[in-house]
Formats: sequence, C-alpha cells, structure tokens
Amino acid sequence: MSRMQAPVILLKEGTDSSQGVPQIISNINACQAIADAVRTTLGPRGMDKLMVDDQGRCVISNDGATILKTLDIVHPAAKTLVDIAKSQDAEVGDGTTSVTLIAGELLKEMKPFIEDGVHPQIIIRAVRKAASLAVEKIKNIAVPIKKGNPKEMKELLLKCASTALSSKLVAASKDFFAAMVVDAVMMLDDLLPLNMIGIKKVTGGALEDSVLVAGVAFKKTFSYAGFEMQPKTYTKPKIAMLNIELELKAERENAEVRVDNVEEYQSIVDAEWKILYDKLDKIHHSGAKVVLSKLPIGDVATQYFADRDMFCAGRVPEEDLRRTMKACGGSIQTTSQSLTPDVLGTCETFEEVQLGGERFNMFKGCPQAKTCTIILRGGAEQFMEETERSLHDAIMIVRRAIKNDSVVAGGGAVETELSYHLREHSHTIAGKEQLLISAYAKALEVIPRQLCDNAGFDATNILNKLRQRHAQGGRWFGVNILKEDISDNLEDCVWEPAVVKINALTAASEATCLILSVDETIKNPRSGQGDQPGAGRGRGRPM
Amino acid sequence: MNAPMGQIAFDEYGRPFIILRDQDRKSRLTGLDAHKSHILAAKSVANILKTSLGPKGLDKMMVSPDGDITVTNDGATILDLMDVDHQIAKLMVQLSKSQDDEIGDGTTGVVVLAGALLEQSEKLLDRGIHPIRIADGYEMAAKIAVATLDKISDTFDVDLKKPEPLIKLAMTTLGSKIVNRCHRQMAEIAVNAIMSVADLKRKDVDFELIKVQGKVGGKLEDTMLVKGVIVDKDMSHPQMPKVVKDAKMAILTCPFEPPKPKTKHKLDITSVEDYKKLREYELKTFENMVQSVKDKGANLVICQWGFDDEANHLLLQKELPAVRWVGGPEIELIAIATGGRIVPRFEELTTEKLGKAGIVRELTFGTTKERMLVIEECKNTRAVTLLIRGGNKMIVEEAKRSLHDALCVIRNLVRDGRVVYGGGAPEIAASLAVAEAADKIATLEQYAVRAFSEALEAVPLALAENSGLAPIQTLAEVKSRQVKEKNPRLGIDCLLKGTNDMKEQNVIETLMAKKQQILLATQLVRMILKIDDIRAPMDM
Repeated sequence: MSRMQAPVILLKEGTDSSQGVPQIISNINACQAIADAVRTTLGPRGMDKLMVDDQGRCVISNDGATILKTLDIVHPAAKTLVDIAKSQDAEVGDGTTSVTLIAGELLKEMKPFIEDGVHPQIIIRAVRKAASLAVEKIKNIAVPIKKGNPKEMKELLLKCASTALSSKLVAASKDFFAAMVVDAVMMLDDLLPLNMIGIKKVTGGALEDSVLVAGVAFKKTFSYAGFEMQPKTYTKPKIAMLNIELELKAERENAEVRVDNVEEYQSIVDAEWKILYDKLDKIHHSGAKVVLSKLPIGDVATQYFADRDMFCAGRVPEEDLRRTMKACGGSIQTTSQSLTPDVLGTCETFEEVQLGGERFNMFKGCPQAKTCTIILRGGAEQFMEETERSLHDAIMIVRRAIKNDSVVAGGGAVETELSYHLREHSHTIAGKEQLLISAYAKALEVIPRQLCDNAGFDATNILNKLRQRHAQGGRWFGVNILKEDISDNLEDCVWEPAVVKINALTAASEATCLILSVDETIKNPRSGQGDQPGAGRGRGRPM
Repeated sequence: MNAPMGQIAFDEYGRPFIILRDQDRKSRLTGLDAHKSHILAAKSVANILKTSLGPKGLDKMMVSPDGDITVTNDGATILDLMDVDHQIAKLMVQLSKSQDDEIGDGTTGVVVLAGALLEQSEKLLDRGIHPIRIADGYEMAAKIAVATLDKISDTFDVDLKKPEPLIKLAMTTLGSKIVNRCHRQMAEIAVNAIMSVADLKRKDVDFELIKVQGKVGGKLEDTMLVKGVIVDKDMSHPQMPKVVKDAKMAILTCPFEPPKPKTKHKLDITSVEDYKKLREYELKTFENMVQSVKDKGANLVICQWGFDDEANHLLLQKELPAVRWVGGPEIELIAIATGGRIVPRFEELTTEKLGKAGIVRELTFGTTKERMLVIEECKNTRAVTLLIRGGNKMIVEEAKRSLHDALCVIRNLVRDGRVVYGGGAPEIAASLAVAEAADKIATLEQYAVRAFSEALEAVPLALAENSGLAPIQTLAEVKSRQVKEKNPRLGIDCLLKGTNDMKEQNVIETLMAKKQQILLATQLVRMILKIDDIRAPMDM
C-alpha cells in the first residue's frame, strides 16, 4: 500500500494482495460476519432465515449448512466456515450452526492475541491442544447407551431426535416426528443406509397427517389410456421390476427395411407387434401382477396389462425402483427373457392411494422391510422443504446415536463443562498457552450464551449460574429454555450424540487453525472480474 | 427498505470487503423490521380477499397479461392469478392452494384467518414478546380451538336415499358464488354427481370419474348432469346417423389405416402395376378392418387417432358411424363407463371387448355448428359428466370452479361425516373457548392465546361486514347470545333470514375443512414469525 520505492512488479497488474497481521485480522472479521449470519438460528428459540436468490426462488431455513450454502459466499477465508458447516452436515448431519458459531467465536477470542503480536503458530498449537483436551473430556464424560434393552434404546433415541427437532419449524409436533424418525431408522438394516429412507412431500393436510410407510411409496407415474381399468389393490402380488421399454417402437434406431411388395408390409408389422407381445406374454406368464419399469410403458402394454388384471407403472424413478427392490426382494431385470420366480419380488399388499391431490403407489408389508418411506404433509411447499431438512437432521442424529453409543447433554451443558475443564487445566500450565487455552474455554461459552440471547434471557446472569453449578460438580447443567433458568439437561432429556460434539469441536478448531495460518491472500484479478456480470470474461486481457 | 447496513465489513485499511456474491446488490432486513414487513405483506393479501368471504361476498376481476379475463370469488383462484411477487405473499398463496388441494373449499377463510393472526401478532411483537413464544401460544390456542370444534360438531348421515341434507350443504358452499341464481339446481347436480360415483364402503370418491365440461351459450339453467360421458367431438362424417341406440362401441387406440411398421422402411415402386397393387392393398385392408369391426357386432367406432377422408367415406358406405381424435383420458372414461376394453389392434377386437351404451347421440347447441357427443345409459353409471352452460366464458369458468368447490365439500362429507354449522358460528364458539382457556395459562403465552381468540373473530366480522351489517355490533350480539344460550350454532345472519341459528338456516360446513383452516393458518403464521432475516436481491 504505502511502499514508495521503485516498485518491483512481481504480479500481474490488478492483482489484489494483502499480507501480514492485518490480513489475518481482516480474515477473522470476515468469518465473524458469517457467524453472525447464522447466530440467531441456534436453539429452540432460534429464528429462521429467508433467502431469495436471483431467480426469485426462496429458501426458508434454520439449518446452518443450508443457510450458508444458499448465501453464496465468495470471500475466500469465510468460505472455510461454509466448508466446515458442510462437512459437519455430511459427517453427522446436525450441529451445523454450532460448528460455525464455535469457529467464529474462537477466531474472535484469538483476535486480540494476534493484535498483540503473538505468533499465529503458537496460537495454533494452543488451539490444537485445547481441542484434543476437550475431545478427550467429552469421551470421558459421555454417557454410554445400553444397547441390550431395545425399549430403553428406543426411548433414548427418541430423546436425541426430539432434541434435534426442538429448534426447527416443526418443534410444536416434535414428539410426533421424533417417534416417526426413530421408527424409520429402526426399520433399516445394520448399515443404516440413509437413501433407504425415502421422503415424499404432498402439499395439503396438516403436519400430523404425515405418515410413515413401512415399505415403499412413490407418486403415481404418468400413465396411458387403459391405466384406469387396471385393478388398484392386490394382496401378495408378485412384482416384476424391469428396465425395459414396453412400447411399440423401432427396434433399431438406424435400421431401414426395404419392402419389395405390399404383402411383406403386413408381415413386418406383424413381426414388430410380435416382438412386443412376446415380451408382454413372458411377463404375464411369469405370474407377476405388478409391473414396474424404469423406462416408459406404452399404451399398448398398458392396455395389455389392463386386460389381464395386472398393474403397471412406467418411468418409475430409479431411486424408488431400487428401494422397491430392497424392500420386496427380487431384482431389476433388463430383459424379459429370464423372468423366473426368484427375480420377482413380493409384498403383503399393494395399493394405489389418494393423498391430497396426488396418488401414491404403496407397497406394504414387504418381506425384507429394510426400507421405509415418510410421506410429509403440510401447508406450503417451503414449509415441507424445511420439514424435510429438519427430519434429515433428526434421522442423521438417530443414526449416529445408534452407531456411536454415547450421548451428552445438550442445551449448552457439555460446552460449559468443557469450558470449565479447560479453564481449570489452563491454570496448571505455564507460558502463553495458559492464556490461549482459557481463551478457548471462553469461546466455548458462546453456545449457552447464544441460546440465552436467542430466547431473550439475560445471558450473563444465566451463564454465571451455569459456571457456578459446574464448578460445584453439576456436570450436566445447561440452559433450560422453558423455565428461563438452568437445569440438569441429562434428566430433562435434552440429549445429543457425543460424536456430534466431537466432530463440531474438531472441525471448528481445524478451521480456526487454518484461518490463523494464512497471512497472505493473492487474488487473481480475473476471478474478481468474473463476479461482476457484464464485465468481459476475456482470458488474459490486460487491464 | 434500509440499506444493507452492518453487512459490509471493513478491513484494516478501511476498504470494504465482499463476503457474499453481489453483496452490494442485495437487501437485507433483520429483526423486528423483518417481521413488520412480513406482516404488512400478509395483511394486504388478506385484505384483498376479505371482501370475497361469505354469501354476500363480492367477486374480483382479474385481467391476465394477454387480456384473458377471469371473474371469481374463489380465494385460491384469485391468489393464483394475482401473480404475487412478494415472498411472504407467495406463502399465503401456497396456503390457500394447499387448502384447495386438500379440502377444495374454504380457501378464502384460511387466508383471512392467517392475516388476522399476523395482525394480532404485530401488537404482541410491539410489546416485546418473543416471536417464537407468540407462535407457541398460537399452537396451544389452535389445539384448543380444534378441540372445541370437535366438541360442537354434529354427525351427518350420508344416505344415498335422502339427498336433501346434502343438497342443503352444497347450497351453503354455492351461496357465495355467482351461480346462486340457480342455486338449488346446481346443488342437486353436484349431489347427484357425487352420489353416483361415491364408494360408501371405502368412504371415498374418485374425482377422475366426474368430468366437468363447460360450453358457452345457453343459460345457466341449462346446466345438466349426464350420467355418462360427454365428448367434445362429433361424428366423423356429417351424414352419419346422429343417434345410435343400443350402441356397441369398439374403442380403438390404433389409427384406422393400414398398419405401418415403426422401423424405418422404404417401399420401392417401380411400375404402374406395383402402384395399383399398393392401392388395392390399402383399400383391401380398409375393407377388412371395417368388416372385422362390423363382424364383431360393433355399430360405433371410437378412435383415438384419425383416419383420412377415404376411410371416412368407406365407413359411411358401410354404415359404421365413427368418432375420431378422441383424447386419451376421454377414451379411458368411455371405456370405464361402457364397460368396454380399449383395443390397441384390430386383430384383438372381440365381441366381449365392445363397450355398450343405451344411447349415443350428438348434441347441437343453438344456432352454432358446435356439436358434442353424449354417451348415456351406460353399463357402468359411475362415470358422470357435468355439462355447464352459461352466457359467457367467464360465467362458465366461474360456475365450473363453484361446482368443483361444491363437489369437494360433499366428497369430504362422504369421507368424514362430521359437520359444524357455518356463518361464523364455529369461529365464534372456538374464540370463546380459547379466550376462556387463555386466562388459565400462567406463562407469557397467555397473551398470544388471547390474541388468537381475537383473530378468530376476523371471519365472522368480515362476514357481517360483507353482508352490510354493522360488524362489531352484530358480532357482539351473537357472541353474547352464544354464551347466554350456550348454543354454538349461532352465527351471523348473512342472508337476513331473521334467525341466527345456523342449523335452522341450514348453513353447514364440514368439520374437516374448518379444522384444516385453523391448523394450516397457524402453521403458516408460525413459519412467518420464525423468520427474522431476509436476504433478497434488491429491486431492479
């Protein structure tokens, strides 16, 4: 900026470069702005954000990762925070707001040290140490789940799910959805694959009209004339899942037939029909009653099936077909040649049901019910989208809880405990790290503080009470939103899987270290230019 | 809109730095400002609809960009056509749409209620109550209101032999619509239509079996219910008979022409003889086809595709009347109604697959040359068609929508036989119950619950106002009478019939619709209240 010597031009003109301590500070400020954006969404009294993009689509969300994704952040350092929120989302699915907040707060606490001239590397070392101490502490104090008793286990999962849902739009019916989510996850097999839980949305109806289908349900596909004449309910049908086009069409794209005289004409036509009918006959003879295909089923086939009291659905989305396969057994066939009984699936009942304005195909009582479908009902589309995101969070939490069998108390309890632990520990160390670790401890308190702020409580007051209780050994005391006080959150069933917290702390600390270790940004002018629509995108054009 | 203050961060050199893409072109509203702006938007939407509520509600005329005019008082339609741009207003539109999807009626009421709830919450926000606590209070109140509705509801016996109560119900729904000139007739048509397709055992009504067709011309009174199918088509040849009795229909989805292979093909014609042969072949196939159809005993052909004039002529010669270019859904409806099977190939046609109908006739309308085909006295009477006539397109369209509403109401009753009495009576009863419950709540939510009870009064207030009554006075009167007489059936006497008892006036609404209104409105209000931060691209 202010060097007045004859400049040595190293970089292309227009390149934005800034370096040194001011750069670190500026990055921290940027991250602060990001953390502020999601700050108010934390906790049961957290608010939602409404974001409108250039095309006028709007997203209403309370999910930290979704908000940050939608905000379209371009600042390079601030992007780091988005990335950790995303990674938290991918890894554990919940706690995305907390991770961003903790990272923001850590940076804020470290800022004075940077300004005072502490070397970033020292800070980084201290942050790493504090993080590992904290993680260890979580592991120590986490309460293991007793897997032996399925009933107890279920209760526990219910609590975790309802904690995750309490900050969401559907908080009012969180018990209802928590039960649904837990049931859904329990239906899965040991691997708990997420994509085996289908979530379908139908506008209209109240939230409580949402149902969990033990099996597969998907929207009625496009149908041709004749479809209405097919029966709509079966008991114990055989299901054929195909990947064949059942339509009268040219067998080969580029083939051409030369016909010498008109008599042959008929035979070609007959041959074509025969190809189709052969396929259809084979399907019919295999004993299948319900025919699903990923590819279109044409009108001829539809009518053929209708004549034989069979049901068919073409253009079934692949995901749904795969889930049907998992639930009903059998396998997807790409030819009609080998439709033996073992490749056909079956289920207890198949039904076409009207839900609101949509019709759904439902397969219930599947022999291998390793899949389930949640059908969401609700007023507005935005509403259901947010509900889906909330359920996703809850599902992830339940999965995590099953896989990693220990929980901690939420509501800021575990953060306060860690903060207390770290502060105690810091007194035992000599040197700069003492200050830094106690700064880390202070940063962790942002979670209970923000919970209070969002609910409109006196944060300082409650925080002081919390600190006092934890010093007296009240390990699980956290904020109680309902009573505007503190209480033992382990007893109040505000539970979260320990792994969520561990992951959040690790990710936040990593991000902090990363941002602190950057002391220079060199920004290519071209990338800056591309942001402004209208400006030429010409590559390498001199400015 | 205030400038995006506090949004731009400055680095150590005092330069602003950009965190979001196009940050300077985005607007942001936070906190109370955001709430106020939402509430304002929602309120203005509700105010537009308010005057359409009730039997004396007025219609709105909407002109689309390309000059199409729609006149309606159906809430969902109005909002749909208004093409709103504001995010929150859009949510209101979706709200009424979802009421429409699920219930089909009460689309105006739900928006008015949501607007009133938001208006009330504005006051609470000014007092400094946390928005989520307001929303919590609303949910509590909604539960009380719904429970009250359950309590005051009556069971309604759906009996096919006694359609009279159902007709009354349909008349309530149609009361506010343009068609109330032939109120009773329309109601009867709607009831009859539902009754012929209703599946009382499964408590379900398949709407696919009811087709509503409109035709401009004639009077509204000419509207009729056809127990069969109406197809907007005519016989393919003007000289074909206009009436076919004891029709046996061949329902074909293949074109009436020599079959063509789908594979690309080429026929080389090298000589005149070849050409003649081809021509003969075509002719012969035609004749064979017609003959085969006739042999199977069909005396009418319904074809999804077309056939050329030559085939047309041949059909006439062979005295086989035919209808061409009948659409897919109609074909299906015909097949269901007549008990026939759709046949994709001539070779598969058999006598059993023919559809049977007592009479098929062509309807002509006045002096116009337009004709429609009516298929009546079908084997399966479950498919019906409503043919709506009216002076102009607007009326026909509006009549269609009104009948749809009426059909939905009756269907809901078939599904769930519980009713409440209309005219604002259930709202007043619920409001009273909620207000009473409010005083028992010890927490902050008390205020929200009380506000909810006030908001519930918005519907009867609007009803009274639209009917030209002094709104506040009327409401106060009815309210006090409800308490005094413990009669939850008292409502606003919109039609000035002299009694406030809605049971006597026969103003009935389904319980499901009312419950749904309250639940949906509460849900939406919660969603709106929960937003405290809006980021949107700035206005151009």
